[in-house]
Amino acid sequence: MQSIISDYNYWVYILLMMIGFYAMLAKNNLIKKVIGMSIFQTAIIIFYVSIGAKEHATIPIIAHGHGAVEAAIDVAHYANPLPHVLMLTAIVVSVGTLGVALAICLGIHRRYNSLEEDEIEEQLQ
Amino acid sequence: MIWQLDLSILTLIVICAFATIMVKDLLSAAIIFGAYSFLMCLLWTEMGAVDVAFTEASVGAGVSTVLFIAAIYQTTRKVGVRKSGRLLTKAVALVATLITGLVLLIAEADFPGFANPFTPASLHLSPYYITQTLHDTNVPNIVTSVLADYRGFDTMFETAVIFTAGLAVIAILRRFKKEDRCDIPGPYVISEAHPDTIIRFIARQLVPFIQLFALYVVAHGHHSPGGGFQGGVILGASFILLAISFDFKMVLGIMSERLNILLGNIGVLLYAGIGFLCLLLGANFLDYSILSKVLPATDTIMARSHGMLGIEIGVAIAVMAIVISIYFNIVSRGKYDKGL
Repeated sequence: MQSIISDYNYWVYILLMMIGFYAMLAKNNLIKKVIGMSIFQTAIIIFYVSIGAKEHATIPIIAHGHGAVEAAIDVAHYANPLPHVLMLTAIVVSVGTLGVALAICLGIHRRYNSLEEDEIEEQLQ
Repeated sequence: MIWQLDLSILTLIVICAFATIMVKDLLSAAIIFGAYSFLMCLLWTEMGAVDVAFTEASVGAGVSTVLFIAAIYQTTRKVGVRKSGRLLTKAVALVATLITGLVLLIAEADFPGFANPFTPASLHLSPYYITQTLHDTNVPNIVTSVLADYRGFDTMFETAVIFTAGLAVIAILRRFKKEDRCDIPGPYVISEAHPDTIIRFIARQLVPFIQLFALYVVAHGHHSPGGGFQGGVILGASFILLAISFDFKMVLGIMSERLNILLGNIGVLLYAGIGFLCLLLGANFLDYSILSKVLPATDTIMARSHGMLGIEIGVAIAVMAIVISIYFNIVSRGKYDKGL
């Protein structure tokens, strides 16, 4: 049981990565490919945040307040903030890339009147 | 951390991912993907990454879903019927996917166990941030201080990336002429919509509170989860809500294209400008402690805190403008005439 808990996050990250990768390669519809790309991105975010998680740790905001006792800060008491920072900006950038990807899809649809990969290929030939 | 929650949320996430890929209707896929993002948000909270959860809730579950729906509105919700010739493509893709998964699974054997506090990632750099943040910058939210101060240079270019994405969407989609050579008539109709009084009333009542909350998220990011990125996205979402529930033109009257692009520029310039101000005062780029020379009644520690607030405001303005601009361009196909 302990080994399942300690590895389950990584298994799910691999599984999601495979789902996203397969959708990007095999799906015929361009919007489905974009969804696959987004799933791929979230899989990587799961990987990073899982690395930053610590057992018995709390959120990375230091307990403070007026009149609070200045206690020594225990590192093991707070989750690792560095992966959180990197992934926070990655999520916001992912909405930017999603916007560009959907804009390209709309541009393709404007010209070929289709979002299906094989139909676009037929028109290209 | 509660491992029962962890296991069940992760299982639900995998089910949602499968459903999103398998479902035959694009609108359903977009909605299931929204549910997937909300589950992700729960997972981040469960792992203690509250700032990431906040971002995922506003960006992943909120704006991404709206962008998908806008794109489907402009194209079609139907997935085409499959032709027999794609069997080879699928087989190749399956083999490639399985090989990738196998390689990752072999690598996974070397990973440190989940939730182990002594992983290499948690031993070298992050203890400095955790122990010194309050002492260096007087900001208790470590994520904000690392984002805006210790790694401020990184975040500046992240903002620039979002700005560039906004420019790219405008460059791809924006059409200024009425007639376009390769244009096709009318968007796909999802449903015959009539203006709904209840939705309009509720949206009108909600928008001021949403915007107030967004300002709180920006200003209070030092002490609680939140900050410029989240607040900016929520501000942008309030305008998108108005555009969906009311008229597209009405929102364009409040937030014209010219003003929107101007705001995007001002946001990025504010960030870089604070960096240059630090340079002019004689310190390194984005070293806010020198700002105590110009800010009244601040020591070098509080100056870093105030500097962070300044760049968070810049990020919020830029992100708000870019989110609105991307949505407007996608939903009107770059013609700014009518929307969802």
